[in-house]
Amino acid sequence: MTTPKGETSSVDLNRFNEVFFEECAENLAEMEQILISLGDREPDHEQMNAIFRAAHSIKGGAGIFGFQDMTVVTHVMESLLDRLRNREIPFVPDMIDLFLEAGDAIAMQLAWHREGKAVNQEAIDAVRAKLQRAIDAGAPAPELPPELDEGATAREEELLPRRCRLTFTPDAEIFARGIRMESIISELAELAEPGEFQCRAQLIELPDLAELDPERCMTRWNFALLTRASREQVLDVFMFVADEEQLQIEDESVDRRTPAGEPAADPPILPPPGRRAYDNGETAPGAFGRRGGETESSIRVNVTKVDQLVNQIGELLITQAMLSQFAVGLDPILHEALQRGLAQLERNTRDLQGIVMSIRLVPISIVFSRFPRLVREIAAKLGKQVEFKTVGDSTELDRGLIEKIADPLGHLVRNALDHGLETPERRVASGKSPTGTLQLSASQVGGRIVIDVTDDGAGLNRDKIIAKALECGIPCSEAMSDEEVWQLIFAPGFSTASEVTDISGRGVGMDVVIKNVQSIGGRVQIASEAGRGARFTISLPLTLAILEGLSVAVGEEKFIIPLNVVIESLQPQPEQLKSVNGREVVQVRGEYLPILKLHRMFNLEAEVTEPQQGILVMVEADGERGAILVDALLDEQQVVVKSIETNFRRVEGSAGATILGDGRVALILDLPELFAMHKKL
Amino acid sequence: MQTTQGTVVQQLATEAASEYLTFTLGSESYGIDILKVQEIRGYDCVTRIANTPAFIKGVINLRGVIVPIVDLRIKFNVGEVTYHEFTVVIIINVLNKVVGIVVDGVSDVVALPAQSIKPAPELGASLDTRYITGLGTLNDEMLILVDIEKLIGSDELQIVDSTVENTQKEAVNL
Repeated sequence: MTTPKGETSSVDLNRFNEVFFEECAENLAEMEQILISLGDREPDHEQMNAIFRAAHSIKGGAGIFGFQDMTVVTHVMESLLDRLRNREIPFVPDMIDLFLEAGDAIAMQLAWHREGKAVNQEAIDAVRAKLQRAIDAGAPAPELPPELDEGATAREEELLPRRCRLTFTPDAEIFARGIRMESIISELAELAEPGEFQCRAQLIELPDLAELDPERCMTRWNFALLTRASREQVLDVFMFVADEEQLQIEDESVDRRTPAGEPAADPPILPPPGRRAYDNGETAPGAFGRRGGETESSIRVNVTKVDQLVNQIGELLITQAMLSQFAVGLDPILHEALQRGLAQLERNTRDLQGIVMSIRLVPISIVFSRFPRLVREIAAKLGKQVEFKTVGDSTELDRGLIEKIADPLGHLVRNALDHGLETPERRVASGKSPTGTLQLSASQVGGRIVIDVTDDGAGLNRDKIIAKALECGIPCSEAMSDEEVWQLIFAPGFSTASEVTDISGRGVGMDVVIKNVQSIGGRVQIASEAGRGARFTISLPLTLAILEGLSVAVGEEKFIIPLNVVIESLQPQPEQLKSVNGREVVQVRGEYLPILKLHRMFNLEAEVTEPQQGILVMVEADGERGAILVDALLDEQQVVVKSIETNFRRVEGSAGATILGDGRVALILDLPELFAMHKKL
Repeated sequence: MQTTQGTVVQQLATEAASEYLTFTLGSESYGIDILKVQEIRGYDCVTRIANTPAFIKGVINLRGVIVPIVDLRIKFNVGEVTYHEFTVVIIINVLNKVVGIVVDGVSDVVALPAQSIKPAPELGASLDTRYITGLGTLNDEMLILVDIEKLIGSDELQIVDSTVENTQKEAVNL
C-alpha cells in the first residue's frame, strides 16, 4: 500500500498521521451530524461555528501533516462558511447538500491517505468548483480581503510572486513546547520561489552567561521571501506555533524581476493583520486542536492495547478462581489471613474487571449517527417521505460489537426504506400519513443489548415470502407459523424485491445480516403486521469477553450456563414430572417446561439420568423456556469466554468455552441452540 | 516393506534433506515435518466434546488457548488405545490452527534426504495415501511420512469447519 506522505517537513510526522486521521474522521462525522440535524433550516450561529471549526481543524491538520490536497477543498469550504457566517452570502438550503458533498470529498481524500483507496479526482474538483460557484454566486464583495479568494486563484498558480516580509517573535517557551524552528524555516523556504528566501535571526535579549538558559528562546526571526503562496498559506506554516501577536506579515506585490530584498532589520511595525478565520474566543490560535480552552480529559489508546488488557484480566480471573479453589481445602482457622487475602483479591479483581470492561464500552450513537444521512439520501432517491427517529443513543456496548453491528443495521435500515415503507401516495391510499416513520432504538435488557429497527410500512407479506421461498427452492410450507415464515427471508439467496435496485434487493443481504449477527453471538427476531409495519429486533450480548455463569456438573464434565438465562433451579417432586407425547416435561407453577437432558444431548455418561435424582435448572432464552437436567450445581462464577473455533470447528449447543479454576476446559451452553437440538432429538 | 531393505541411505546427502519428527503408532513408525511441530506434552485433562467422532478426544487448555486433541491411533486404527502417564501429545501448528495429536511415543528427529523418500503404494488402508507424502527409510526401518497439514485440513478429520472456516475466526476471539 503506498500512501502519499507529506514532504513539507523534515520532522517525521508519520507516527502522528494516525492521530490526524482519527481527528479528521471525527471532525467529518461531527460536521455531518450537524448538517443532517439541520434538515433544510439555516444553521444558527453556534452550529455554523461548529461546522466551521470542524472544517478548519481538518484544513489545519492537513496542512501541518503535509496533505496539501486535503486543504484545497476544505479551504474553499471554509471561505464559503466564513462568508455565510458573516452574512455576506445568503443561506440557501442547497448548501447543506453541498457541504455534505464536500465532506464526502474530504472523506475520500482521507481514505486515500489512510488506506490507499482510489480517489475520484473529478468528483473532488466538481465539489470544489461548486463551492466556488456558491461563493461567487453570493455577494461578489469586492471589499473582501484578497485571502478569501485565493483558494480559487492559488491553485491555478496564477498568483504573481509577491515579496513577503515576516517577523516572528516567539515567546521564550517555544522550545519547551517541542517546536523546531528549522522545520518552520524549511517549510517557509519551500513556499518561496527558488533562491528567493532569506532568514535572519535577531537577538531580543542577552542575559548573563550564568543566567543563560539554552532552552529559552531569545531570538526573533526575520524572513523575506518571494512567493506565489497566499498570505493564508504563509500563515499556515505558523499554525500551532505562533499566536497572532507574535507574527507580523507584510506583503508587497513586486515585479518578477526584482530580487528578494535584504530583510529589513527593523521592519515597520504594522498592526497584526489578523485572520478572519480565527475570530477571538472561537479558536485561540496558540491552542489549536483544542476547543474553547477545554481541558484534556481523555487520552487516545490503541484498541489492541485495551484488548490485551482485557485478555490479561481474563487470565487474572482464571488465576484468582484457581487460587480460591485451592484455598477451599485449607483449614479456615489455620489460614485465616490467607482466606481474607483471597477474598480481598476476589473483590479487587472484580472491580478491576468492571473498570476494564467499561473502557471497551462505547455508546451506540456512534453507529446510529451514521443513519440520518443514509435515510435522507435513500428516501430522496426513492421518493419516500421518512421521519427518522433514534431512541436510546446512549446505550453502551462493547466496541468490538459496535464495529460488527453497523453493517447488519445498515442493511436492515435500507431494507425497511426500500421494501417496508410505502410511497406517500400508497400510504395516503391506505389511510396513513404520507410520512413514514423509521425508528432505531437500543436498550439494555438483562445481559443483552436489544436493538430494534421499526417501521410503520406495509409489513412483511406472508404469501409473497412463501411463494418466493418456493421459487428459490427454500423448503417451507403453508403450515409454518408467522415467526417461521419471517425467518425464511434470512435464507441465502432470498429476495422478494420484484426488481433489483441499487439500494437493496440483490438477494445477498439478509443471510449476510443474520450471519454477521450470529457471529457475534446475536440473534434477529422479526415481528410484523400486514399494513402496520415491521420490527426487526437484534439482540446482542453485552460483551463477548466475560460472562457470569453458573457451573454445573454432568457426569465427569462441567458446563457453564450463562447466568442471565437462569430463572431458578429446583429438585422436582415426582408429581411435577409429566410426559407429553413421550417427551418429559416438568410442571412448575402451572407451566409445563420441556426437560433438556444434557447427558443425552452431549452423549455423556451421567450419574443422574432421571429428573427426580438431579437438579433442574429453569432457563429462558429468546422467549423460550426449558429445564436443564444436571447432576449438581457447582458454583457461580465469572468466566472468560474463549473461542473454540480458533483451533477447532463450531461445537453445536455451545457458545464458546472457558477455562475453569482447575485448568480444565468447560463448554458454555448456548440455550437457543440447545432448544433447537432438543426439538430435533 | 522388505523391498526397501538393502538400500543404503545416503545420510550424507543432506542438501535436499528435510527434518522429520518420528513417532510410533502401535508398531509403525511415522514422521511429520518438524517445522509444523510446536511442542510435545503429556496427555491430560481432556474435555470431551459431544457428537464428535471417536478419534477426537476433546479439547485441552494449552496456556489459555483451547486446543482440540485427535487420537491418531483411533483414526488410523493402529496400536492399542490406552491413556497413561506416558501417553504423548504432539502439538502441531498448521493452517493457523493449533491441534494436538495423541501418539504412542515420540522417537527422534531425523533428517531425510529427498532421494531416500519413495512414493507410497496405493494401500487402501484407513490412512489414505493422499495424506502420505512418501515412505522414507531410516536404518533399515520404514518411516511413513504424513502430510500433517493436509490431514488436519481434511474433511475427514472434521477439525476445520469447511463452511465457516474463516468468517468467524475472529468473532468470539476476544
